[in-house]
Amino acid sequence: MRKLLLALLFTGLATGVFAQQTQKTLKKVYVSKLFTCSLDLMLDTLAKDYHLKFVFERDSISKYHVVDHFLNESLKNVLDQVCSNNHLHYWVESDKIYILENTDDLARLKKMDMLWTAAAATHLTPVELPKSPPKNFNFSVSGKVIDQSTGESLPAATVRVLNTPLSFSTGADGLFVFFNVPADTCVVEASYSGYQTYRFRLDAEKIKNSITVEMLPALNTLNEITILGKKSGVMNTDAKKVGVLQLTPASLDKLPNMGEKDVLKAFQLMPGVSGTNESSSGAYVRGGTPDQNLVVFDGFTVYQVDHLYGFFGAFNANAVKDVQLYKGGFSAKYGGRLSSVTEITGKDGNAKQATFGVDLSLLSLNVFAETPVNDKSSLLLAFRRSYQGPLYDKIFKQFNATTIPATGSGGGGGFGGGGGGGFGQQVTPASHFYDADARYTYHLNTNNTLALSFYTGTDKTDNSRDLPSFNSSIISNSITDYTKYGNLSGSLKWSSVWGKNVHSNTYVTYSSYFNDRNRTNSGVNYVSGNDVAFSNGTVETNDLKDFSAKTEWDWQISNTLKLLYGGFATHQQINYEYTQNDTNKLISQHNKTFLGGGYAEIEYDPTGKLHIQPGMRTTWFQETGKQYFEPRFSASYTLNDHFTLKAATGQFYQFINQVTRQDVLNGNRNFWVISDGSTIPVGMARHYMGGASYENDQFLINVEGYYKTLSGLTQYTIKQQGFGPGSGNATIEQAFYTGQGNAKGIEVLLQKKLGQYTGWLSYTLANTQNKFAVYGNSYYPADQDVTHEFKSINMYHYDRWNFSAVFIFSTGHPYTVPLSSYTITGADGNKTTAFNVGAKNAERLPNYHRLDLSATYDLLKINGNKTGSIGLSLFNVYNHKNIWYREYQVQNYQVITTDVTYLGFTPNLTLSLRW
Amino acid sequence: MVIKKHISIIIILLTVTILSACTKDNPDTKSTTLPVIESYLMPGQPVVVKLYQQKSLTDTAVYGAHITGMKVYISDGSQKVQLTESTSGVYTYTNLTFLVTGKTYSLQFNYLGYNVTASTVMPAKPVNFVSQYPGITIVSGTPGNRGTVLNLFSWSNPDSLNHVLVIKGVSATVPVNSFSSDKPLNSQINTNRASYYNLTASPFAYLGAYQIILLRVNQEYINLLNNNTRTSSQDLNQVPTNIVNGFGIFTAMQADTLNFTVL
Repeated sequence: MRKLLLALLFTGLATGVFAQQTQKTLKKVYVSKLFTCSLDLMLDTLAKDYHLKFVFERDSISKYHVVDHFLNESLKNVLDQVCSNNHLHYWVESDKIYILENTDDLARLKKMDMLWTAAAATHLTPVELPKSPPKNFNFSVSGKVIDQSTGESLPAATVRVLNTPLSFSTGADGLFVFFNVPADTCVVEASYSGYQTYRFRLDAEKIKNSITVEMLPALNTLNEITILGKKSGVMNTDAKKVGVLQLTPASLDKLPNMGEKDVLKAFQLMPGVSGTNESSSGAYVRGGTPDQNLVVFDGFTVYQVDHLYGFFGAFNANAVKDVQLYKGGFSAKYGGRLSSVTEITGKDGNAKQATFGVDLSLLSLNVFAETPVNDKSSLLLAFRRSYQGPLYDKIFKQFNATTIPATGSGGGGGFGGGGGGGFGQQVTPASHFYDADARYTYHLNTNNTLALSFYTGTDKTDNSRDLPSFNSSIISNSITDYTKYGNLSGSLKWSSVWGKNVHSNTYVTYSSYFNDRNRTNSGVNYVSGNDVAFSNGTVETNDLKDFSAKTEWDWQISNTLKLLYGGFATHQQINYEYTQNDTNKLISQHNKTFLGGGYAEIEYDPTGKLHIQPGMRTTWFQETGKQYFEPRFSASYTLNDHFTLKAATGQFYQFINQVTRQDVLNGNRNFWVISDGSTIPVGMARHYMGGASYENDQFLINVEGYYKTLSGLTQYTIKQQGFGPGSGNATIEQAFYTGQGNAKGIEVLLQKKLGQYTGWLSYTLANTQNKFAVYGNSYYPADQDVTHEFKSINMYHYDRWNFSAVFIFSTGHPYTVPLSSYTITGADGNKTTAFNVGAKNAERLPNYHRLDLSATYDLLKINGNKTGSIGLSLFNVYNHKNIWYREYQVQNYQVITTDVTYLGFTPNLTLSLRW
Repeated sequence: MVIKKHISIIIILLTVTILSACTKDNPDTKSTTLPVIESYLMPGQPVVVKLYQQKSLTDTAVYGAHITGMKVYISDGSQKVQLTESTSGVYTYTNLTFLVTGKTYSLQFNYLGYNVTASTVMPAKPVNFVSQYPGITIVSGTPGNRGTVLNLFSWSNPDSLNHVLVIKGVSATVPVNSFSSDKPLNSQINTNRASYYNLTASPFAYLGAYQIILLRVNQEYINLLNNNTRTSSQDLNQVPTNIVNGFGIFTAMQADTLNFTVL
């Protein structure tokens, strides 16, 4: 019995190596042979001739007949052709080639094969025993985990030295290091979501240099993973860390999507992130607002994270490798935001072979290409653009009430308004969004890599048009009316490995944000024999420029001690102008500031069970001339294989604020402003979070609680003065209200990780309140406060089909009601009607709920690799009218209440192709 | 088992923390039964205080129902007088010498158990209010040049006091262009504590005779004027008022008037 187990163990150990060898054999071996037999016999022949192991069900495979003459064909081509002719798939895993009638058969074949192997174990030669007795003891070894097919480094992969407590989770660069490895005959295992687990034996040669661990993708349709604690699937939580979520962009097509796989929207399905804000892709994390969430993409801060009024995230999932969301109490490595951090790592580009992809939906076209440029560098290009089909129009109209007359009747009026009659047919103005990613990675040598990353995205709505001349003196007359906002960002990253246990990433980054609105009526007027040019209207521009440099160091001192440290410097520049009639600048702000500082953090594992992580971050902020200190601490304690306790706390500052100017007609506008320490204070938050998790190979139960205090919160309003006819009189004045708040809550997550059915249930009980003097002296529910939120995400995999159902229920958002109205006459004799406004956010909108469904059919290559998919998504299936907000308008002294709703039932089709 | 106990204790503790922190304060709201006051005190004119009830949201009446039968008092610091209800809901005091520059006037009455009060200071009369031209000419039908400065109004304001310019149509009926016909005749402009105002064609929707009234006003009136009535439930805000236990305005002001023609 013991012998049998030993034999099994060794077979297992050698599998990874053999999988690669088998892949190579398929390409290298050439077949010249005539086959006229049943398929099972042909496979037997091949197995014998080329020392291969085929696994198949003889009963079913013997039905297929092969009559083919191969002349110097690679074995891979032979298999491709034979399987293709018979509508079969093959799949290479471990040292075996599985012949599948149906991709779901793999699990069954594997089990079957295991039984056969066990029965025949005594006849197997034990594989890959140590070649010699160990020569090296207690040495250190380092390396990198990469994808064998693309050369991409794999972040958050788990590397273990078997039969020792040594275990390492790779960082964004895929690097790992072990100290005190007992002997150079130990076996190392690498595992990562969506990849075949890879094991190899160390030897005296290997440990001399950095080891590159190349992992092969798992059969796409597999949900089955048999090792405890493995990450798999769409959403992964690290049971040992508090408030961390990881997302695999490649798995996003298994969820319902509204036109684009959306990494930011996917987070909204997870516990602790509000899922009911259809008008924002930004994350409302644990009572925080989107501007309190730091979004970092390849080292640069992203200031505009959505397209189309928040309905879509600004990041192209095809250009993204990995996304991590830190829901609070995060590491000292990150700072400058009060609530949370979203870190997005872009793909490097395929260093092995050129690949291309196209995604087409009712909303947009998305294309990408990855290619090695030479043996040292690779390139990734991704681009997507919306097109104004019915789906785009439907979403656009949901968030923007602007319409223009289909014909040029009447002219001049400009804003037809929702349902404004008299203009005949109303059409949506020309509008689109696009974004582009480019990344060039250059390996200077084995230890130094440079990566140049570029990202840009823009939303533009253009309503400009020529007006018909309604007066003989007007020679030309046109309206310029556009809104344009977006980002332009780039970074140069230098990754360096300084010996086995120190590595660093140094970045020089540029990130800009702009938000421009121009509504001007201009033309030429013929007055008294002269042409007089005229231009009236408003131009509003906000632009932000962020130049930063930062360096992040990672020093693994021993197996139990790691030091993280680094420094940063940022120059920010914000311009905000509101100009009227060309010359009259109502708001003109030009601010510049400098921020600089550093951080240090220790990760210490005094015992195998306890992990503590104290850190400190400090920032000097030019505007206030003060130094800010942010202590951080997190810890986890593993009770046993299944239970973990964890906690985190910290202090956080925010020096820049996003303010929203509500504009019902044209969609809300967002602006960034720099804190000045007085009217716009520096925001400060303290987090206290704790939790416990239970995890086995099937399920994960995670319970976390949090309490946060916030001060120096800012709200913004523009006050308009003067009510004269025409716009010439209006002056505006901006006002900032400051206040404080707190947030607390409990999140419960139950996740089923394995099997054909996977998914999770998430429940959050939360309370978020603010106190702003302008609304009184008491706390009131914050705008984003939701008491109960329940989410059920269900995914079912059957053969090549993936079905999913997402149900979201939440308490309605709080809102303010007018209790009554009154009318008084001003000194000019004009009457104004005002509301007696009820307590701030005292009422609740009706509960929000919706069901989304999707079905995806995978297109597979003969060798089982995925080549694309066809998907159907249904959003808000039962067409529930979820209310966004209520609108109170005074018409003839009467107050008319209108419900403004979110999107109703909307279907979408997607087609994805890869080659 | 021990571990399960641990977890349940943690959950219970967390729940207790959350729930205990959920006790709600009720932020101050204003009752819908509070009265609405409209009163502008100007020297040389009788004191007029109009009292209304608030309206329900679906009410189509212009004003709320009159509040009648009140004992309304006004005091100038030394003398307290009771106003008489001249017509329903309109309370007056006709002694034209009562209102003088520099005095503080306080309004007081009891309504449904509320002690309703307000006070205001009578500002001085505007000084040296002059116009560059007696009138302006607007080329009818042109959307252009409405931003061009056509006339300068100026006055003395060394202390940067609040002034409002009221444009009041006297016999202006001819619309400036085809879009003007639904625009109000009168308007008012906050001059932002300046001592001049550059007039453009914008305030004028009609051609004809106007009065340009320069009002020296108090901050409470500016607050009301600055109010930007919001209509979205995400953004509703109480309109500022200087009335305690009520809504509306009780403010003193002084005027200087020029005649002005727009052709």
